[in-house]
Amino acid sequence: MTATSANKRPFRWHIAIFLAPAVLVYTAIMIMPLFGTLQLALFRNVSQSQVFVGLDNFRTLFGDPNWSVNFWNALRNNVWFFIIHMLVQNPIGVVLAALLSSPKLRFSAFYRTAIFIPTILSFVIVGFAWKLILSPLWGVAPNLLDLIGLKSFFTPWLGKEEYALTTLGLISVWQFIGIPMMLIYAAMLSIPDEVIEAAECDGVTGMAQFWKIKLPLILPAIGIISILTFVGNFNAFDLIYSAQGALAGPNYSTDILGTFLYRAFFGFQLQVGDPNMGAAIATMMFLIILVGVCIYLFLIQTRLRRYQF
Amino acid sequence: MGSLNIENVKKSFGPVDVLKGIDLAVSDGEFVVFVGPSGCGKSTLLRVIAGLEDASSGRVIIDGSEVTSTPPAKRGIAMVFQTYALYPHLTVRNNMALGLKQAGTPAAEIDKRITAASTMLSLEPYLERRPAELSGGQRQRVAIGRAVVREPKLFLFDEPLSNLDAALRVNTRLEIAQLHRRLKATMIYVTHDQVEAMTLADKIVVLNAGRIEQVGAPMELYNSPANLFVAGFIGSPKMNFIDGARLGESVKTIGVRPEHLSVDAKKGTWKGTVIHAEHLGADTNIYLDCEKAGLLTVRVFGVYDAEPGATLYATPDPGRTYRFGEDGQAVK
Repeated sequence: MTATSANKRPFRWHIAIFLAPAVLVYTAIMIMPLFGTLQLALFRNVSQSQVFVGLDNFRTLFGDPNWSVNFWNALRNNVWFFIIHMLVQNPIGVVLAALLSSPKLRFSAFYRTAIFIPTILSFVIVGFAWKLILSPLWGVAPNLLDLIGLKSFFTPWLGKEEYALTTLGLISVWQFIGIPMMLIYAAMLSIPDEVIEAAECDGVTGMAQFWKIKLPLILPAIGIISILTFVGNFNAFDLIYSAQGALAGPNYSTDILGTFLYRAFFGFQLQVGDPNMGAAIATMMFLIILVGVCIYLFLIQTRLRRYQF
Repeated sequence: MGSLNIENVKKSFGPVDVLKGIDLAVSDGEFVVFVGPSGCGKSTLLRVIAGLEDASSGRVIIDGSEVTSTPPAKRGIAMVFQTYALYPHLTVRNNMALGLKQAGTPAAEIDKRITAASTMLSLEPYLERRPAELSGGQRQRVAIGRAVVREPKLFLFDEPLSNLDAALRVNTRLEIAQLHRRLKATMIYVTHDQVEAMTLADKIVVLNAGRIEQVGAPMELYNSPANLFVAGFIGSPKMNFIDGARLGESVKTIGVRPEHLSVDAKKGTWKGTVIHAEHLGADTNIYLDCEKAGLLTVRVFGVYDAEPGATLYATPDPGRTYRFGEDGQAVK
């Protein structure tokens, strides 16, 4: 029995040492800021000094009409922004991937690259370019619509409250369509040729083949894309900021959580920056995304099967 | 129903001619095996029959009607793939039902056919499982079942046993033979394994480099191969080829099967030294380096003690040697 204590394994320092670089970097740039933000949200600046106020900032955010109206507006807009992506970006991504994977399509490598290029463009370029294109004064959109006789449809889409958010959503779809397309394209290429040939022999062709064989087999990829879209949309800021500015006009109609947070935290024009309220908003964004990701991981992903071929 | 005619089918992939003019007639209920080395075009020919590849020229006629440009689903064929190619997201039952549902077959009829097929292939316990939960042999039976329920005019098998282990291969081979007997359907079967070809086929088609070398019943190919290629391909171990000139014969090549040679320690036609002996129990393969005939393989039935280095005499059975001319064709 004495052998047991003699054989007791020494503490394995090398494991800690090998983990250390990753843990330190991740802690420094992810964990610390996250907890810093959560902590900041619980304090308030009272006469030049930080005072612990518990959940008071959240009470203000939801209770004070000066804040809550803007918060709910931003959240509602953000949900609509997400819905546009889910309804437009992802289905079109699936269709493009299906077209690209068709063996009869010529120049598919060209289309693939062309569709993917906007994704690698800077949001500043995208925001500014579309702002110019859609400008009623010097934009090309009115002239282009005139060419096909649809000039009467033109309206300053980015300047009208009822259209601006949807327009920006579609611009974002245009920019990022390449990502779902590529992920689904890869998923479709992983379906073995024989399975498709067996379907051809079975008479399951064309649209039926897509609905009954390809779509079920790419569902896991669609699930991943949905959650990436969700996280990306609720963290979005850059396109709105570059196209509409921090005020997310007209009249806050394109305000999403990211721009709302920016104004609260840093202040803008007449509004004075309040880091504590900004942190409270950032905490809410973190919680919303956390809940969304948890719903996906525990309810949806467990039901999606991955298939081995 | 179920006849197949192929008329001068050619297939090229770019500059590569894979099929160089194939003519073949298969009558109803026949079990035909395409056999040949890798790259001989046998799988391509099967895929042309299935409609998965279009022939570059020539005609494919199934059951009297030309189907050269008909899509696979309308040809009345069913194909079994080497990799099974089951739909991984569907249960065994739905794998078999999908094609029928698509064709609008009534539900009662689908149930009836699935019950019949799963009984025949002893798949009943697995009907509600997905392919991932089945073994390789079971998956291949599902693939066969999926073909059976469609009641096709023509069954096409593309190396269906290649992914199975040796024991399972023998069992599944037996099942396919029984299936053919029971359904009396026309079946076309591609393999590179000549044992599968010999055991299953009514008629073997030997292909080489995109051409048909010989068509015939298994014993016909064994007993009277048309040329050197068929003689060397059919039979295991391979037929011995001896340069005719060394034996003082008028033909280019003399062929003797290893099982048609007998050995003796004292006297015989060709004297040689044992290089190696393979003891398989039921028979013994002796590799003999002969002074006159070169390297010979001799298959002796039962156990035979032959040490490397020993001297043995090999004697061919009279009347069971094959003669091949300058062009490789058999000379009668």
